[in-house]
Amino acid sequence: MSEHEHDHDDHHGHVHLEYQPALPISNGKTCLWLFLSTEIMFFAGLIGTYIVLRFGAPPGTWPGPHDVHVVEFWGALNTFVLLCSSVTIVLAMEYAKMNKAGMAKSFLFTTFVLGWVFMGVKAYEYNSKFAHGIYPQKPRSLIYEKADVYYVAAVRQKLSEYLLSDEPTAEQHAQVSALLDVVRWVEVTAATDSDPVARQNAMDVLAYLIYPLHRDSDTVLGTDPEARLHELVAEWKSFAEKQAAATPAVEAAPAADAETTVAPATKADLAALIPSVAQMSEHQGLNELLNSESHWITLPMKIPSGNMWASTYFLLTGFHAIHVLVGLLMFGLVLPLELTIAKAGLLENIGLYWHFVDLVWIFLFPMLYLF
Amino acid sequence: MSDHEQHDDGHHGSNVGKFVMVFFALCILTTISFIVGNSEALMQNTPAIGRFLMIAVSCAKALLVILFFMHLKWEANWKYVLTIPASMMSIFLLVMLTPDIGCRYSHYSEERLLFAADPETSDHDSHTEAGHAGDAAEEHPTH
Repeated sequence: MSEHEHDHDDHHGHVHLEYQPALPISNGKTCLWLFLSTEIMFFAGLIGTYIVLRFGAPPGTWPGPHDVHVVEFWGALNTFVLLCSSVTIVLAMEYAKMNKAGMAKSFLFTTFVLGWVFMGVKAYEYNSKFAHGIYPQKPRSLIYEKADVYYVAAVRQKLSEYLLSDEPTAEQHAQVSALLDVVRWVEVTAATDSDPVARQNAMDVLAYLIYPLHRDSDTVLGTDPEARLHELVAEWKSFAEKQAAATPAVEAAPAADAETTVAPATKADLAALIPSVAQMSEHQGLNELLNSESHWITLPMKIPSGNMWASTYFLLTGFHAIHVLVGLLMFGLVLPLELTIAKAGLLENIGLYWHFVDLVWIFLFPMLYLF
Repeated sequence: MSDHEQHDDGHHGSNVGKFVMVFFALCILTTISFIVGNSEALMQNTPAIGRFLMIAVSCAKALLVILFFMHLKWEANWKYVLTIPASMMSIFLLVMLTPDIGCRYSHYSEERLLFAADPETSDHDSHTEAGHAGDAAEEHPTH
């Protein structure tokens, strides 16, 4: 029936039934734009939440980029890579429109490669966070909000675990047992000192030595940090000697704590172990200095609001990275096709999605790397 | 409206040049925000101005990408239907979160102080049951 009508129309060529589409664009493009408008809300939700959490954090606690091993250079490089890929995908579409399939394909391939470069840099950055014990979630995360008894307990546990494992060399063993003396001093001071400020300060000093945050220097070590550090090292030494003197009596009974089983002679020199303040200024605390040759131990770190930072950072960059991966998947599927003018619409749609991914990064870069 | 697009197809050569120009503009803008973000003077003395500048630059970049790379400059009026409500929703979300989440530390309640991240302002620790700390699990600073 319909075929008959069709023939009829064709034959006479008079009746033209024109169907005005709802929008002057193809269905695919309409759907893609609808999808993008939901994506706008999705990422606006994530970015908006980040902004609110960041500026709603306890005043002055949000970690700066360098406090959490965020390097501006890599962020800027990734921005540049994404900008380049945006221009190459748009050129791929332009050349497809001109029916230059070869040029279109080479530009699409360039975009594909640039996308992988972005992912490579991202992987490198994630790895540098993980290597420093910065994870979004416990148990791997070593971030502590403040230097309290939980923090000191976590440091002791990490050191004890390491001492009891088979890994340490003689030198590392000596360093760990010397550090356990400092932890013991912190515990005793935090528990028994008559001055409440000194009690808190003992725990703050431990946190500062392990992971010095620049802004903490004055409050933790006072106006003359170098002199205060010498004073502390001398105090720790005399404390350790007293401990050692008391040890033989303890050793008769089965040792409960790991460090009591270590002979005092094998302990490293505290003064050599504890870095000077001058060395620590570039976030070079014990965590960095102990690992200067090989990565063997990472102690719990005090980074105020660090957990919230890690959650938002990994969530935002993670969702963005997933979007990049989806884009790369689409490029991979389209690359084998003949990119003639017939495929210009397809390239435009993929391009729209890719530009949106670029758009999200345009906002993420200053917020995560520069704020 | 729809023939704008077709009209645009007419001059391809100039389009490539246009996209390259936009790309350079984007690079320059990125450099500006990089310089602002790394300027000690700006970010330490007046961080609010620095951040405002960076967001303004980001908005300019976003506008360039949307207008030229995503061709919205040449699209018909349907573009407003899709983009404006979505943008409004996202702004509402930010505004709605602010009173409960954004301002949660403007007034410290006793309980918030207890679990706050910043040890300098929090002197109210009373976690006496910290098992691992052994004999150190005594109470510490209460003013």
